[in-house]
This record gives sequence, C-alpha cells and structure tokens, in this order.
Amino acid sequence: MSIREKPPAPSREATPTPAVKQGHKPATLPLPLALADVPGTEPPLQATIPLRQLWLCVYLPALPLEALVDTTEPAAIVEEQQGVWKILLANTNAHAAGVVPGLTVNAALALLPELRLDERKPAREALLLRELAGWASKFTSFVCMDAPSLLLLEIAGSLALFGGIKALRARIVRGLDSQGFHAGIAIAPTPLAATWLARAGQKLCIRDPRNLVGRIGPLPIGCLGWPDSVTASLMGMGVTSIGEILRLPRQGFAKRFGACRLLDLDRALGRLPDPRVSYREPERFTADYELNQEESNAELLLNACRELLVRLERFLLSRQMAVQQIEFIFFHLQMPATFLPLGCAQAHRTVTHWFGLLEIKFDRLTLPAPVIAIQLCAGQGQKFVAETEVLPFKTQNGKKRNTSITQLAERLSARIGDASVHGISVVAEHRPQYAWQPRSNFEEIPHCANVPAWQLNSHAPELLAEIHRTNSLVLQRPLWVLRDPERLLVVAGVPCYQGALELIKGPERIETGWWDDNGIARDYFVAVNPAGVHLWIYRNRGRNKGSWYVHGKFG
Amino acid sequence: MSEALENLLTNPRIWRGQARAGDSRCKGLASGYPKLDQHLPGGGWPQHALTEILLDHYGMGELQLLMPSLARLSQPQDDSDAAWIAWIAPPFEPYPPALKQWGVNLSRVLIVRPRGGKEALWAAEQALISGNCAAVLLWSNELDDSASRRLQLAAEAGQCWAIAFRSLKALSQASAAALRIRLDVGERGTDLGILKSRGGRPAVVRDYAG
Repeated sequence: MSIREKPPAPSREATPTPAVKQGHKPATLPLPLALADVPGTEPPLQATIPLRQLWLCVYLPALPLEALVDTTEPAAIVEEQQGVWKILLANTNAHAAGVVPGLTVNAALALLPELRLDERKPAREALLLRELAGWASKFTSFVCMDAPSLLLLEIAGSLALFGGIKALRARIVRGLDSQGFHAGIAIAPTPLAATWLARAGQKLCIRDPRNLVGRIGPLPIGCLGWPDSVTASLMGMGVTSIGEILRLPRQGFAKRFGACRLLDLDRALGRLPDPRVSYREPERFTADYELNQEESNAELLLNACRELLVRLERFLLSRQMAVQQIEFIFFHLQMPATFLPLGCAQAHRTVTHWFGLLEIKFDRLTLPAPVIAIQLCAGQGQKFVAETEVLPFKTQNGKKRNTSITQLAERLSARIGDASVHGISVVAEHRPQYAWQPRSNFEEIPHCANVPAWQLNSHAPELLAEIHRTNSLVLQRPLWVLRDPERLLVVAGVPCYQGALELIKGPERIETGWWDDNGIARDYFVAVNPAGVHLWIYRNRGRNKGSWYVHGKFG
Repeated sequence: MSEALENLLTNPRIWRGQARAGDSRCKGLASGYPKLDQHLPGGGWPQHALTEILLDHYGMGELQLLMPSLARLSQPQDDSDAAWIAWIAPPFEPYPPALKQWGVNLSRVLIVRPRGGKEALWAAEQALISGNCAAVLLWSNELDDSASRRLQLAAEAGQCWAIAFRSLKALSQASAAALRIRLDVGERGTDLGILKSRGGRPAVVRDYAG
C-alpha cells in the first residue's frame, strides 16, 4: 500500500501567473510514505475530496504593519521575543535603511534614529481581519478566518457568477489593493494546501486534486506553520521541502513529530476531510474609530463619524437591512464617555440620512473633553423596505420634493425633541377635550367621505354662502383650544377676559362620560370681548356652578 | 423692443401706479373671500412667498381667514399627493374637529412645537425648503428683517406658501414679505388692512368675511 496517488494528469490547468517551474520532476512523485500498522497512522484508503471544493487563500504577511502604520515615513512594528524587543516588520522606507525583521530595537535605532516604532497590537489585527472577512463574504458564502493573518474563501460555487477563476481572483486582488493590503493569494482544492502555497508566496492555482502532491512537494517546510522546534529538527534531518517529508515513513514520522502533523499532511493532500467553520458576522453592527490623538475639532470628529457610517451602510446593504436607532459613543481620556443616540421614525441605512441627523445633533452637543475614540453601535436591524420614488415628470408642476415628510419630521425632532413634532387626528367623542389626539406616524388617514362640496369648486361665487350654510348646520367649534381650560374672572356676575364678555351664542350643553369617570356637565357659549376676540367659554353645572372657564378661541 | 418692454412691465414685482397687476401671469391662491381677492394681485394669496399677518389678539378670525385656502391645499390635487400644512409654534392647540369642519385634511397636518424662537425660525425654514409642505404657518416674535428675508427665499425655493403671524408691534419694522396685512376689529366684523402687497396696492377691506 505504498502508492495511492494516481499519477496526475499533465498539468494543463489554468495557472493565472506563470507557475513556478517545478512541474517536471515531482509531478509523478511516488509516495512511499510507507505505512505501517501503527494505529492511527494509516492513511485513508482513498484520496477523498468529497465535494469539488476550491479554496482561495488570502495571506496577509504585513498585517501587523498595515494595522498600525499608514505613513511613508520609516516605521516598524516591534514585538517582545524572549525578553528582547525585536523588529517584527518594517515598511519599505525603513527596509531601505537596513532595518530588517529580527533586528533588535537598539540596533534598528542606531541605523535609523528617526525610525517610528509601534508595538504590535493583536487585537487591532484581529479586528481588521474580521472586517476583511466581512468584505470577502461578498465573493462567497463561506469565508473562514485563520488567525492571525489568513482568510480562506471557498470559491467553487462563485466561479460562474464572477466570470471564472481569473476574473474573481483579479477582483479580490484589486479589492485588497484598494484597501491598502499586501496579500499573497493562492488557490487549491484543500484549504491547507492553499494556505501553504500562499505562505510560500506561490501565486499558484491548482484545480485538480491530483496535482496537489506535485505542486506542494517543492514548498519549503517553513510555510507549513509548524512550531519552530519541529521545523528545526526536520532541517536537522536534512528535510527541507514538503516533498521530502512525504517521502518519510509515515509511522516513524508520526512517532517522532506527532500524529497531528501527519493529519495535516493528509488534509492538505485531500486524503482526509478538513472541515472548516465559516465566519459569521454579528447581527448587530458595532465599529470603533480610534483617533491618533485627542481631538476636539468638530469637523474632524464628524469625518470620523462619517467613516463609521459608511461602514454601517456597507454592513446593512449586504444584509438588506436598515436600522431605526444608532448610538455614537465618544470616549475621553479623563472623563466618562459621551453618548449621542440618534433615532428615526423609519428604518434607514444610507450615510447621507444618518449623517444629516448627526450633524444637527452634533451641533448641539457639548463634549466635556477632547475625544480619543468613537464607537458606533447600531440597534436591531430591520428588514429594509425600499421607498417608492416618483418619476420626476409626475410631480405636480415641477415641484421638487427633496425629502419625504418622515424625513422632515425626523430632522425636526432630532433638533427639538421627539414629542414636539406630531400630527393630529379626530376621535369620535362628544367631550371636547377628548375629541382629538396627537399622532406620531404620518401615514394617510382614510379620508372621510363628508368633505364639504364647496371646497372642490373653490372659485364658485356661492362659496361663502356654502361655508356659512355648512357651518351653521354643524355645531360651532373654535379653531384654537386651550390644553387646560382657563378660569375666568367674574366681575359682578359677568365673566371677563380682557374686559367684560358678551355672550352671543349658546348655551350648548355637553354632558356625561360616566364610563370613564371623567364625566362633564357643561354649558358652552360663544362670547366676545371688547377687543373683538371670540371665545368659547363654559360654565360647569352642578357643584362648581358659577365659575366660568375659557376653553377655546375662534381664531 | 415692445415685447421686451411688455415682459418687463408684466413682472409682478414692478409696481405701476394705478395699473392693477391682477392680469399678471402670477396667479394667486384664491382666499375664498371674494372681497379680499379683489384687492390681492393675481386674485388671491401670493403663492410661493411669505405672507405676514399682524394682529394684537388671537381669536380675531385670523385662522378663518386662511381656512378655505388651507383646506383646498390639503386635498389631493389631480395626480399628485396632497401636500402638508405645517404649524410651527402655534400659541394654542389647533382643534382638529374644527379643522375638519372647515374641510382640512387632517392627515396632512404637521404640528411642530419648538422650544425657542430661534428654533421656530429654523424649523419653519426646514419645512419650507423640504418641498413637502404646501403651507407653513409660523407664530414668532423673533422674526426680524433678515429672518423674513430668509423665509421669503425658502418659500420661493420650496415653492411653498409661508404665513407668519406677528404682533402689531412689528408694524414699524421692515419686512421682506410679499404681502403684509393687519387685522383689526371693526364695527361689523374683522377689518383687514393690506399694508404691503407686491404688485398690488395698500387697501382696507372692511369685514372681509361679510
């Protein structure tokens, strides 16, 4: 049971970039990982790749640098290794001056005194990687994060949509480039093989599992990502490439380096399944923006907020969702954080909308101290309901409608408070104070049928007569009412309101309300004062008899 | 030459002594009160402009004056949606049953209660330029010359009718409004004085509703 790899087909698959010239010798590499009867070390009987998978590996070797440094000045990331601070990565300018990874900090500073040094921040790297995974999920439904610097995309199902392997790959490369990441990309039928190829800097694309052995064989063992001790002892044995490892007896290899290494190899070659866990983005959006230094400049802070909102929009867009509430949290070094919640009547997702609201609120916000970081937390996402737009030529006489009424209401209430913007509606109720109520939504009330006829033909000369006729048929009600009726002064038995009142109409008796304990018994009159103000006044019947109140004005 | 001159002369902003601008291209919004319409250029309220109403006491029929036109504006027209009527900082509660009696479509009424005068002006401007409103009613004591100019411009930009209610103290102040009227109590009803009318002439309308 020595050879179980079929000789691979002559390699004629698409290799987007010129393949490394190694196809000749190891392509038919026999596989004498002769395998003994040590339990657990037998290779599976068949080379199984159950599904035709294709894994694209994005390897980000410079992630620690990209996470922290965005300057062209010489800069480097340092990390403590066994008590000594050493250079982990240096940018090109620093590199040119001779600052290379592995150098101690002192040596690096001696070479380049103006070198900017930053401590490695794994948390920030993880955050960036998560964001990238979110971005990558637009290419495939299966993105797998492999910390600290690997992304694995299963792309077999995406090829048709993105126009083939070459086009998809080019898109991903462009996307990473535009976000400022340097990445190594390799494609292989198993995730581990893709990983190793990417780590080795091989821009290969292997589609046929049978070609794996041949292509992976020449890779140096450094790209396996195994612990240094393992690599070192392999090197000590004179084993420098994966192909050479494959030639070792399986039993001995497992005994010496552990069965897990053997499993790694089997998985990479597709002999064992290699299940992965897909990255799932959280359902609620949270993002941070860290400022380089404390800032109190409003414009700068607003720009940072805008960037967060752009990310929110991207997040929502990919889910067809929208949110009704978001909250900005401004962190200060010395003070407790400032919270700025924003809310809408409708769920929204566009940057312009939220930014418009933010600008209004931010204007009135006083920050107690300069800001060091900003966090944006979005509320529960809701299904996005697209608004129906009206075709431009349909709007009445060219009237341009910049926003919907809910947007206007949101703008207004963002500045002056939620309860201060509302609509009104009528309640079927005979007691005047309960005959109406404010309403907070701005949807159409089904319009009642009894629209007076006069308003439809406005220019008719009989208009006025019609108004009077209509109004005399129904009970007269004032256009203004007072929220709380005002008690009137009574002088010599005559109610007064900036002068003695003269009753000109009434009484209209309004009574009862026994069903909710707010019953009334009032006689309403229309009165006029010397200044010509028409008032709607009433007098309580029964116990409080005698006192007069003004309830409304005929505006 | 004569055509250019004709164009110039029909511009409603040019006041030509006795010539009544009633036949100008700018059509007014019928107020529903024929007595008043006679005196207004274009036969009605100036559209897309600021109208100022000066009065001393609320309850003199200042809303009744507007009700027929507001009722019509709030109804759906032809093929487009009905537009909104915004009430900014009203001194009392507008009473929906009465509005309904006058035929106002209540689902198109927006009440805004700002905390201060500055905010009221801001809210009015926002409502005017949003393009959602057909009319914006504003009660403000802080309306000065420059604020009225802003409102006038916003009304033009948003093609909206702005109405500002002010006290009679503002009589001596300059204003950019297209129409300024004052309400007084007369012998038989409310008298209406046209103080300033773009393209029209000052006049007094006794008992406008009669």
